[in-house]
Amino acid sequence: MSKPNVIFQIVRRGGSLFSLIKKLWQHPKGRVGLILVSLLVLTAVLAPVLAPYDPYDVTQRAAKGLRPSLQHPLGTSITTGQDILSMLIYGSRVSLMIGVSTGIAIAFLGALMGVMAGYIGGFADSLIMRVVDVLLVIPTLPLIIVLTNLLGRSYFVIILVFVAFGWTGLARVIRSMVLVLKNSNYVKAAELAGASRWYIMTKHILPGTSHLIIMNTTLTCAGIMVAEAGLSFLGLGDPTAISWGKMLAEAQGGGALLFGAWWWILAPGAGIFLAVFSFMRIGIVMEEVFNPRMKASSGIYKLFKHLNNRYLDEVFRSMDDEGDPVTSEGSDTPPPPLSGGGHD
Amino acid sequence: MTDTVLEVRNLKVAFPCPGGVIRAVEGIDLTTKKGECVALVGESGCGKSVTAFSIMKLLRTPPSVSRIDKLQLDGQDLSHLTERDMERIRGKEMAMIFQDAMTALNPVMTVGKQIDEVYRRHGKLGKREARRQTVRALELVGVPEAKSRAKSFPHELSGGMRQRVLIALAFACMPKLIIADEPTTSLDVTIQAQVLDVLKVMQQEHDVSALLITHDLSVVANMADTVYVMYSGKIVERAPMRELFTAPQHPYSLGLLASVPKLSDEKQSFVQIPDTVPHPMHKPSGCYFHPRCSSSSDRCERHMPRLEVGANDRQIRCWHPLHQERET
Amino acid sequence: MIVNGNNRHSDALLEMESVSVNFPVKRAYPFSKRQWIQAVTDVSLRVSMGETFGIVGESGCGKSTLANAMIGMIRPTSGTVRFQGDDLFSLNRQAFKAARRNMQMVFQDPFSSLNPRFTVYDIIREPLYIRGGVSESDMKGKVLELLNLVGLDEEDLQRYPSDFSGGQRQRIGIARAIILNPSFLVCDEPVSGLDVSVHAQILNLLMEIQQSLNLTYVFISHNLAVVKNICQHMHVMYLGKTMEAGAADSVFSNPLHPYTKALLSAILDIDVSRPRERVLLKGDTPSPIDPPSGCRFWQRCPFAMEGCKTIPAELVNVEPDHHVACHLISGFSSEQKAAGFAQPLSPQHGE
Repeated sequence: MSKPNVIFQIVRRGGSLFSLIKKLWQHPKGRVGLILVSLLVLTAVLAPVLAPYDPYDVTQRAAKGLRPSLQHPLGTSITTGQDILSMLIYGSRVSLMIGVSTGIAIAFLGALMGVMAGYIGGFADSLIMRVVDVLLVIPTLPLIIVLTNLLGRSYFVIILVFVAFGWTGLARVIRSMVLVLKNSNYVKAAELAGASRWYIMTKHILPGTSHLIIMNTTLTCAGIMVAEAGLSFLGLGDPTAISWGKMLAEAQGGGALLFGAWWWILAPGAGIFLAVFSFMRIGIVMEEVFNPRMKASSGIYKLFKHLNNRYLDEVFRSMDDEGDPVTSEGSDTPPPPLSGGGHD
Repeated sequence: MTDTVLEVRNLKVAFPCPGGVIRAVEGIDLTTKKGECVALVGESGCGKSVTAFSIMKLLRTPPSVSRIDKLQLDGQDLSHLTERDMERIRGKEMAMIFQDAMTALNPVMTVGKQIDEVYRRHGKLGKREARRQTVRALELVGVPEAKSRAKSFPHELSGGMRQRVLIALAFACMPKLIIADEPTTSLDVTIQAQVLDVLKVMQQEHDVSALLITHDLSVVANMADTVYVMYSGKIVERAPMRELFTAPQHPYSLGLLASVPKLSDEKQSFVQIPDTVPHPMHKPSGCYFHPRCSSSSDRCERHMPRLEVGANDRQIRCWHPLHQERET
Repeated sequence: MIVNGNNRHSDALLEMESVSVNFPVKRAYPFSKRQWIQAVTDVSLRVSMGETFGIVGESGCGKSTLANAMIGMIRPTSGTVRFQGDDLFSLNRQAFKAARRNMQMVFQDPFSSLNPRFTVYDIIREPLYIRGGVSESDMKGKVLELLNLVGLDEEDLQRYPSDFSGGQRQRIGIARAIILNPSFLVCDEPVSGLDVSVHAQILNLLMEIQQSLNLTYVFISHNLAVVKNICQHMHVMYLGKTMEAGAADSVFSNPLHPYTKALLSAILDIDVSRPRERVLLKGDTPSPIDPPSGCRFWQRCPFAMEGCKTIPAELVNVEPDHHVACHLISGFSSEQKAAGFAQPLSPQHGE
């Protein structure tokens, strides 16, 4: 009975992912985030098509330091004459690639460690939690500087370090959630029925933590994108790639401020801001979707803005004893709780 | 003994929700006299806690909407007071004892200090004098070694002790009205008895009126003078405690009383009320209790009965009250 | 020491012999003394086939720990648990699982006992699904049958626990507990989280199910009135130890232990016509970490004597099927009396 069930489970998982996206779409803030993220993904994927020039082309001496114009919508760099828009478009690839791949890797590692610590407990728990404690106190930035010097400046090293240090937060959150779920009575009931550890882990524990993992991943992605920009700005990124952080660094080094080439600074800055903003949006909305109390309170406030006073009066009048009993019978079709517009 | 302390007229509370309106409280009248303990009994979701919070004016306007004709405490009209004035009234003229003492007490302040503050603010006492009063109050509610216990933090005390501290805190400012919301629900049976005794003695000694909100009829039997039975947002019966327990008139009151297991029962199956409380958003037509009532008729299905005033200060909301059979 | 020893039938479904359960307390500092919570100390009981066995006590008396030891969720520190004659904890894995399928539990909190992500159908059929070997249509049939039995509708199957009230959730939990046709059901305060008017519904349902499926119940409660109504045998527990045990009728008609008396008088009865004499206990239940030496109850006992402080009270048989652990009943030997052990303690002792 295992194989069809596994497939069924995957289908259902997929279904829940779809319904999650639907929920995000129904939320106005979430919709903004979703649109921005999908635009970002499209830009990254279609970069060669979208970019008007070759961003790596540093030979355009004639086009150095051009202001934004129809030919170069975001101008060109002062030092090499590269097209800023093209660089911006290609830079989204690095940001997105690093942000998403690191985020997903962290989600896997953090969830695995958290579930192991929480569910197996005992020695595994103490070991993992001690490792977390140690990792939390090691300063990441100096370590990255040392490691990139040792292993060469590649994004692979950076991702590796981010993942190695980034999983601790998620692991702690997951662990405490697992501890709660593990002691819940429905897990006890399953154990009484003879369920294996694997069954309890996959049926009760992991689904119970999935929302935490998804939410955390989007927020980590945003955080990692900022961190990547910072590292590239410091010159610790891959020297051959084009990234928004490196664009900023070049602008700074090329004297963009000195020559008033504001487009050179503004473009990568806006790119970083929009990417981080869109991921954060989705993460925050997910928190609202998953935390019913937050969702309820925000929903209620919206409801109160449009509350129909005549409807309320009707409701209160129908509570009266003296109220004509016919009206309470007729209350099967109450007026809508929300005013439908200005026609009241 | 006859002057009214709290008077509530026609209190209505609704909670608008995305799917409709939750009708929590539907026009409640309540009166408590001086030195009287009035109990508001009902099951979860009947609106009894919402009533208590409305009287304290602790309900915020999102999420709730409320209407009230009259809210008077000791002759003073509270219905138009601002939040600021209410802050002064709460704690000085009326005090609340909550179910969960851990959340009602400040966890980072010693319990003695918390009671001191009430004495200093409301009694305008000095530091020394306030502490002396605090220790005396803690002794009154039966906290052993009150002087040293006053220096402990809430988490260092047991549940029963915390509830006693809450009682001391509530009585510290000599309020006119005490509202106790399920004061003993989270306690063990033996501790429950102790705490109720303390509450009763304090209430009688200070001649304070009390509004007791509870679902536990045994607590009512031990504390209350007058009982209001609430069902689905409406008062269905009001009676002096003894009369309600010996001769309930509303079928719901009778069902509630019968469904509590008693030590004097013979071995048999338990008396049950069928079905469950209606959802506060989708209440039945007519009398709200009719789908669960054994003596319901066409009339009950169609019309909500009024709250009729009967002999001996009793009130009853029922088309077919039970008292005729009982009296014979 | 076998409780109920004089009517030892062969129809005992579950027997516990001097079971103790201790938990280590997390140490505050690495080298501080290791402390133990003595949750259950030296409890022996036997539950006969088809009866309802009550365990009564306040929170922290170890009744839930005892229940967990019965169904093999907690391994006792010492003592044996025998289910249908087999020592539960020396069975091999397969036999242990099989034995445990014969015992199920109804939980106190109907809100945390159902997975909020599962539909009612998924919840009720889960034990069958885990055991395996049943076709989907058979499972569906069985679930529908049980749904009828506990008084829910077929259209409830695809709904989620959040759509139901506490009483209905408890019905779902009961259906899940009996789907494997167990012979033994532990009910851990099954109604204390519910509304008053629903109490009776759930209790009646449990009783009906017991009748029709011939189940044996262990019923854990703090409500003595309920225990009196439904139980044939009972244990009164305090701080992990049995204070009084025996047939429910003899315990209720002739309570001997001061703690039992206090519990009985502390019940807030709604019988207003009956005059009550109340034995109020002083103070709170002491912590089960390093419980008091001697009789566990002496600090709160209104009749405590000098000897109660140091000498543990053993369970003694006072009448057929009625055992009490109290020095007031068993008395002290003449040497102990000579040492002043029978002197009553001063009234302030408990504080």
